[in-house]
Amino acid sequence: MASSNRIVHWVTVFLRIALGGIFVYAAWVKLFQFSDGRLHLIPWQLFAMAIDSYQLLPQTGVELAARILPWIELAIGLLLVVGRWTRWASLVTSGLLVVFFSLMVRAYAKGQEISCGCFGPGEIISWKTLLRDGSMLAASLWVMAMAWVSRRAPRTLPEPLPPSGTPQESAPNLPS
Amino acid sequence: MKVFAAVLAALFCCAAAGPEVDKGKIIGTPTAPIRIDVFSDFECPACKNFHETLLPQIVRDYVMPGKVYVVNREFPLPIPAHQASREEANYATAAARLGIYQPVADALFQNQQAVINGAKPWDILTKILTADQQKRILALAKDPGVLAEVQRDVDAGNKERVSSTPTIIVSHGTQHFPLPYPINYTILRSLLDGFLK
Repeated sequence: MASSNRIVHWVTVFLRIALGGIFVYAAWVKLFQFSDGRLHLIPWQLFAMAIDSYQLLPQTGVELAARILPWIELAIGLLLVVGRWTRWASLVTSGLLVVFFSLMVRAYAKGQEISCGCFGPGEIISWKTLLRDGSMLAASLWVMAMAWVSRRAPRTLPEPLPPSGTPQESAPNLPS
Repeated sequence: MKVFAAVLAALFCCAAAGPEVDKGKIIGTPTAPIRIDVFSDFECPACKNFHETLLPQIVRDYVMPGKVYVVNREFPLPIPAHQASREEANYATAAARLGIYQPVADALFQNQQAVINGAKPWDILTKILTADQQKRILALAKDPGVLAEVQRDVDAGNKERVSSTPTIIVSHGTQHFPLPYPINYTILRSLLDGFLK
């Protein structure tokens, strides 16, 4: 592997694992709380309030998203970290980040001072959160592109041509 | 010796329950199963909105039946636009010592825009306080104990990583849940009802 290819490979691996780790963390803070020496499941209503503050979905949509989205984040985060089904995991990640980022930009442009809901409550949408999520989206698109490009690329390099002058298997004599 | 031990035990008990929260800032009975801490700033418009719309609903549906108690905490934001916030927090905390936190808080929120426009908070309060209350609140607002109490609220907020106001923290048992703002009351009801099941 050429050195530039090697750098691209390791950058992609780093971004994939980092992105996966961030998604696992984002899901974890929405799903679990450690208190009293035990792990507790956080009520879905907390994330529902964050989703509702964007004023986009009806109540049933808010509830559905709040109940399933953190589990999806956890699943794709783990897949990215371990490097399994990377193409599909990165595709879903990019799709989610496109939606999240668009909604955050929309809320910021409208001057809504709302919690972004990214890593639990208390983080108001600002240029910092936009920069962070924009960087995550860029990383995700990169990982996705690399994953799909590597799928299309041949798995093994073609055999090098033999040097001229070496005997080659002759083509079978075809009847004229 | 036994008497001394009993007195010591009683003191430790009071110290443990002691200065954390001023009873004058509590709405409801502290034996209720759910506690809601409200960190707010008298110059914050969202806090005014919470105080005037959502808080009365919570009081009506959950505090009155004894299911929830609310603890008002001061969190004057250290930003140039909120010049009078700290002073207002001191007056409110002083008023809590006299058992009149709510009317003082109501007046400060009702006249929030006037204060933002430059009116003095004290001038607003003189309209609702008796001469005796004014005298006592003015003295208490400079009392080191009251100033320390406001600072304790701010420190508690910083410990809870409060970064904006209002920050509402729902506690049930040993679990604490800071709520994202704005709060949808239907979802909040679902949360509280879930705890009460």
